[in-house]
Amino acid sequence: MSGWRGSRLGGGGGGVGGGGSPTADRIPSSRTVRLGKVQPQAPGHRTVFCNDREANALTKFKGNSVSTTKYDVFTFLPKGLFEQFRRVANLYFLMISILSCTPVSPVSPITNVLPLSLVLLVSLVKEAWEDWKRFQNDMAINNSIVDVFQDQKWVCIPWKKLQVGDIIRVKQDGFFPADLLFLASTNMDGVCYIETANLDGETNLKIRKALEKTWDYLTPEKISEFKGEVQCEQPNNSLYTFTGNLIIQKQTLPLSPNQLLLRGCTLRNTEHIVGVVIFTGHETKVMMNSMKIPSKRSTLEKKLDKLILILFSVLFCMCLLGAIGSGIFINRKYYYLRFDNSEKQFDPDNRFVVAVLTMFTLITLYSPIIPISLYVSVEMIKFIQSTQFINNDLCMYHAESNTPALARTSNLNEELGQVEYIFSDKTGTLTRNLMEFFKCSIGGEVYGTGVSEIEMGTAQRSGAKMEVQKETNAAREKGFNFDDARLMRGAWRNEPNPDFCKEFFRCLAICHTVLPEGDDSPEKIRYQAASPDEAALVTAAKNFGFFFYKRSPTTIHVRESHVEKMGKVQDVPYEILNVLEFNSTRKRQSVVCRYPDGRLVLYCKGADTVIYERLADSENDLKRTTRDHLEQFGAAGLRTLCLAYRDLSSDSYENWNEKYIQAKSSLRDREKKLDEVAELIEKDLVLIGCTAIEDKLQEGVPACIETLSRAGIKIWVLTGDKLETAINIAYACKLINNNMKQFIISSETDAIREVEDRGDQVELARFMKDTVKDELKRCYEEAKQYLRSASGPKLALVIDGKCLMYALDPTLRVMLLNMSLNCSSVVCCRVSPLQKAQVGLLNCFLLDFMRNIKEMKNGNQHKNFTWLGDVPTSTRAKRRFLYSVVQNRVTTYYLLEMLIKFKQCLNLSIVIGFVIMSAAFSEYSFIPSCLIPSSLTSPFNHNNSLAASVAAMYSASVVDTLLQFCTGISGQRFYDDWFQSLFNVIFTALPVIIIGLFDKDVNASLSKKYPELYKEGIRDTFFKWRVVATWAFFAIYQSLVLYYFVIASSTSGMNSSGKMFGLWDVSTMAFTCVVVTVNLRLLMMCNTITRWHHISVGGSILAWFIFIFIYSGVVLPKEQENIYFVIYVLMSTLYFYITLLLVPVAALFCDFVYLGVQRWFFPYDYQIVQEIHRHEPDNSRVGLLEIGNNDLSPDEARSFAIMQLPGQKSKHTGFAFDSPGYESFFASQAGVYVPQKAWDVARRASMRTRPKIPSKN
Amino acid sequence: MDSNTPSSSAGGIGSADTTGARRNSKRPKYSRFTQQELPACKPILTPKWVISAFLLVSIVFIPIGVVSLYASRDVVEIVHRYDTDCIPADARNDKVGFIQSPRVKTCNRTLTVPKYMKKPIYIYYQLDNFYQNHRRYVKSRSDQQLRSPGSENDTSACKPEDNNGMTIVPCGLVAWSLFNDTYDFTRNNQLLAINKRGISWKSDRDHKFGKDVYPKNFQNSTRIGGAHLDPLKPLSEQEDLIVWMRTAALPTFRKLYGKIETDLQAGDLINVTLKNNYNTYSFDGKKKLVLSTTSWLGGKNDFLGKAYLTVGGLCFFLAMVFVIIYLVKPRQLGDPSYLSWNRNPGH
Repeated sequence: MSGWRGSRLGGGGGGVGGGGSPTADRIPSSRTVRLGKVQPQAPGHRTVFCNDREANALTKFKGNSVSTTKYDVFTFLPKGLFEQFRRVANLYFLMISILSCTPVSPVSPITNVLPLSLVLLVSLVKEAWEDWKRFQNDMAINNSIVDVFQDQKWVCIPWKKLQVGDIIRVKQDGFFPADLLFLASTNMDGVCYIETANLDGETNLKIRKALEKTWDYLTPEKISEFKGEVQCEQPNNSLYTFTGNLIIQKQTLPLSPNQLLLRGCTLRNTEHIVGVVIFTGHETKVMMNSMKIPSKRSTLEKKLDKLILILFSVLFCMCLLGAIGSGIFINRKYYYLRFDNSEKQFDPDNRFVVAVLTMFTLITLYSPIIPISLYVSVEMIKFIQSTQFINNDLCMYHAESNTPALARTSNLNEELGQVEYIFSDKTGTLTRNLMEFFKCSIGGEVYGTGVSEIEMGTAQRSGAKMEVQKETNAAREKGFNFDDARLMRGAWRNEPNPDFCKEFFRCLAICHTVLPEGDDSPEKIRYQAASPDEAALVTAAKNFGFFFYKRSPTTIHVRESHVEKMGKVQDVPYEILNVLEFNSTRKRQSVVCRYPDGRLVLYCKGADTVIYERLADSENDLKRTTRDHLEQFGAAGLRTLCLAYRDLSSDSYENWNEKYIQAKSSLRDREKKLDEVAELIEKDLVLIGCTAIEDKLQEGVPACIETLSRAGIKIWVLTGDKLETAINIAYACKLINNNMKQFIISSETDAIREVEDRGDQVELARFMKDTVKDELKRCYEEAKQYLRSASGPKLALVIDGKCLMYALDPTLRVMLLNMSLNCSSVVCCRVSPLQKAQVGLLNCFLLDFMRNIKEMKNGNQHKNFTWLGDVPTSTRAKRRFLYSVVQNRVTTYYLLEMLIKFKQCLNLSIVIGFVIMSAAFSEYSFIPSCLIPSSLTSPFNHNNSLAASVAAMYSASVVDTLLQFCTGISGQRFYDDWFQSLFNVIFTALPVIIIGLFDKDVNASLSKKYPELYKEGIRDTFFKWRVVATWAFFAIYQSLVLYYFVIASSTSGMNSSGKMFGLWDVSTMAFTCVVVTVNLRLLMMCNTITRWHHISVGGSILAWFIFIFIYSGVVLPKEQENIYFVIYVLMSTLYFYITLLLVPVAALFCDFVYLGVQRWFFPYDYQIVQEIHRHEPDNSRVGLLEIGNNDLSPDEARSFAIMQLPGQKSKHTGFAFDSPGYESFFASQAGVYVPQKAWDVARRASMRTRPKIPSKN
Repeated sequence: MDSNTPSSSAGGIGSADTTGARRNSKRPKYSRFTQQELPACKPILTPKWVISAFLLVSIVFIPIGVVSLYASRDVVEIVHRYDTDCIPADARNDKVGFIQSPRVKTCNRTLTVPKYMKKPIYIYYQLDNFYQNHRRYVKSRSDQQLRSPGSENDTSACKPEDNNGMTIVPCGLVAWSLFNDTYDFTRNNQLLAINKRGISWKSDRDHKFGKDVYPKNFQNSTRIGGAHLDPLKPLSEQEDLIVWMRTAALPTFRKLYGKIETDLQAGDLINVTLKNNYNTYSFDGKKKLVLSTTSWLGGKNDFLGKAYLTVGGLCFFLAMVFVIIYLVKPRQLGDPSYLSWNRNPGH
């Protein structure tokens, strides 16, 4: 009964027949998701009874509600705490807190427990808040409304109540709430259009077709009759496959992906559809593809951990020394200390135990050396940065789409300042994916007055200012940016070549696979095309008066105007006999049609190279002029197509058609045979002309890319485009310019084609590999030459997908990487999504490899592994990757996550700055405005504030250490418990946060003006260990000053009444100095000082005084020792004021000298920039609100870019007609299933573009 | 600053928005905070600033240094070490034995007044190598007990000197090891009166040591640590104890013993009759007797003055150095040729 079932269950469970209980064999599928791979199918299948809840209830399908939260009410505490204690510091403090509860502790436990709890509380609250937002998001989705068929009518229920087997109705522009089996649509032929942008980022509409049997189940009356049973595969994460059967009235109908509507997609251009819910909630394909939100840890955090480990080892050494010292010190001679065996720690007979216990005491005592508030401060800073700064940045708000920037996680903010690599998609990212018919050449005549931008550019360069007429026809149609009166409104009849014109227009109107939609009036019709190029061409035909308005399986109806005479409109049905499809080897598409008068014509359009090969041997003039035009268009970055036609005699056609039908019905090598047959008829063509389509660049892209490359960021563009197109675009967006040395590795060489033609796959692979290897080697050698010379040109690498595939081979990877890392831009064209992922992985993997370069160089025989270019930066600087995710959000997200996972698997310690992970931008051009201004400062801030914070603690702790030498290493603390524990929680935390937030080295507009400043972030100047060491050095100096100055000045009578200070007087004095010094130091570090700085620094010092006034002013019930009244005693002496003036100045003296000397003699770049612009008022971001910082408008900037297209490149004609969706579109039309893409994509897709979440603001 | 410029340009976008659905606009609201446009001053550490900061510091510090050094020099201080000298020659081999024996430990020393000393003259004793700041020592006390008679039994912190069958007041090692050398001064056989009142900080007397707390069971165990206390005097009047209990920061410390309220002339010979009771011999501690006057700044302490002078002088010196560098080899501010990408073009 069911073929697929037999094959599916094969030998294993053949017993599961139709009669067996279908519920029994439903094995819960595993939720583990394998990245990039289709997970193994759970055995068995699911049976869904349509519109029969009772029958389905037996199976207990999962509900349709989804949850993407990390925690729930019960798991929050354990899981959240676990997450927190994964941090070294928190764990450490937990240990200290436990230690401080034991008698070895010199401090009271509360002083350690309280800050820790505070820190944990803050972190947990933040986690909870973020999770709450996710929960709200889920709720909003779960509660969206959908129509369900219940009790003979449509009922509105929320998504979450949806069950498997329900029949639902989805209206136009609605989201599918679950994976649906498509039954019927209001469109004729049971067709509906869906947009899968949420899944794979492709904005083209996809066509889904219902089974013919179910077309009419549209009205409630009909549906109530519908009693089907769906048997299908178990839930899995493969987006492009689906197998199943629909059993209606004992009839088994096979189902294909063509009938499956995935959750997260949108219904378009269809009034409504009816479908059966097959997979719900977490079992939908999209959700199966989504992954746990990995907790991302940034470089900074990792460095912090490292820093903490270092500090801990320092501390450990100190403690060890101290412990040994205490063991030596302990002696009965100090009778007043009463060392005896009453207490283990003071038992002179057992010095070892004494040492061990003192060790713990000292660890507890020195614990503040690791500032507990560090993570909290950093987290606060990041949190505010992302929620307040990034999300609210006006520069990152895209007005057209009404999208502000959205930082999805605050964890990686500082990585924004350290991105070194940007991987970018082309379509939709660099370009708008908005094709416009721009020019054409008919019969040797160029039409289209639209001043090409390149012409403007050339004019600008040559100085002749051209009058730019902008938007003459304001109400221009989408896809049609053509303006030439000679062709419009029938004027072409008066042209010298009206026949060519007529053929040209007919070709445009007939030779395509576009579907018209809506009313058949020129204004209202909408064309559904798999590729936007096609839509543009058909739109153009419409505008020329050849209005294609209706398509039936065998005919195309064209409303032709002015053909026989001016003003006459007639409807002409053309019979479509054959469609010779487009594919990437043919690079052309032909249609054989019969005119109403019986004329048989083959219309063909395609790449100039293939068309020219097949032209009849005549009219060489026309060919030549057209080729000139093609080159002209190509140079202008336009996408060209050649049009040709051929009149066929009915005999020859019949002849051919037989062969064609034969080929079409052949079972083996059908495609190849079809291609061969097509060759037979696609010859002796007559050239009509060519079209030129413009794919507009995103606004500001060239400027953006230029900025980025000046900032030292290397850009990799991965595109599915052809080599030439890719290069063209690369030129247009300034990725490549003529000053760059280009290396092109292409598989489109004759040698390769030759081998290809022989058809031996094994040989082809070997040959390809060798070729690629040779090519790589050659380029590599050459590149080395260039890099050796001091000021060689920048390098650019262009490689195509096939070569890339071979170059990714383990033996060649190293070379490829070496090569590409030294290129400032890399263009990978014709890459498949899988390869896109691999390129990322390649880097990821090899960069780690690179870190071991030293060992390699020292002795090992990896002679081929020498370094290109300047070694220091390539080995030492960490590489960072930036993925731009604009259109293809999901894909790249997936990719990124994959990388992360992969990275973790390999335990690579490379730092990857997944920037867009943390901030999803709405437009490409916003990247620099986010990257550069707000984030140049970002790492800077953190690191400085960290260093400061660490240093501050250092100062405090070193004082303690010094004291130990004077206390018999007993672990006596110098400061009061509370001073110490509140020190970095209250007395210094605020300035650290404020500096982290507000300090910027230069303002936003300047950082845009000097993108080179960004390089310092990449180089990681601000967190080099050298910097930390400097800070540590000064911290030690400061502590010495703080300690000795205070101690030394307190050895004699303190006022005229000769009284002496005690321990606590001195320590309070010292601590006052510490607070003042540290806060002033923080202030000294700032580049900009806002009133918040004053408030925080002043406030912190004030907070200390308020605290000490209160703390020492009241009598506490518990042990207070001699803190009582200390501050008042201190302040009653002149000594206090004199010391308070002296000590901070002396302590900061060295820092000041260092800063002064550094600035004077070894200025950083940003300092110079500050100086250059020191007199300018701070109108920082005003200029940024307009995109493109130079005086050029985006269009001008772009034309300038195109103008720099290289001379030789203008030879290339810019054929581009291969949008990725094209082939699959035809394939699915013909009933051939799309080969499953190896790489399935989706990530919380349904979550993202949901328009709601009632926002509170 | 120009507060309306950003908002006006922001308005530009806003007006572009009006064509769209304004109510749904997700356009972030403008605020100086979120746009990171808070007005700020941008201090740049230019050479002029560096030089003037140095000069300023030296101008302020040098006078202060001079003044405090003068004040410190005005102070006359006599330091006399007596720990060894006060052991009879025959007992010097076994100092500890001597000090623990019941022998008479009276000792006479003579001090010469080098300069005129104006009253009041403060008497300090200075101990060396005495770890009053040892953790075991510092915490071995009970502030509650000292403060109020009600918390007499609050001696948990006082180990190991908390009780010997009965509660000790004041408990703990600190009180137990109270210093018990005594000094008497005569000049020309005339007794110089020692005023022992007001040698402790008033806050200690008033708040930390109770007026109704009396010593109890103090020093009556087998191990006698130091001085005995008069059980009839409340703790708040036992000023020696109060002074002692303010634990010192360093193992070398001075504590105020009393004051002589008579001027001493230069060349005066002062006879000190001291009872050398306190055992510092077991840990090789020194004992010193210090007579000192005070200035407005306090006792003799050159450190502050010297530190001020050093810092001030150093600043002045650096200011000069910087001036010279500034004149000889000035760096033009904001010279673009210093930018790293201008220094080595091509990379």
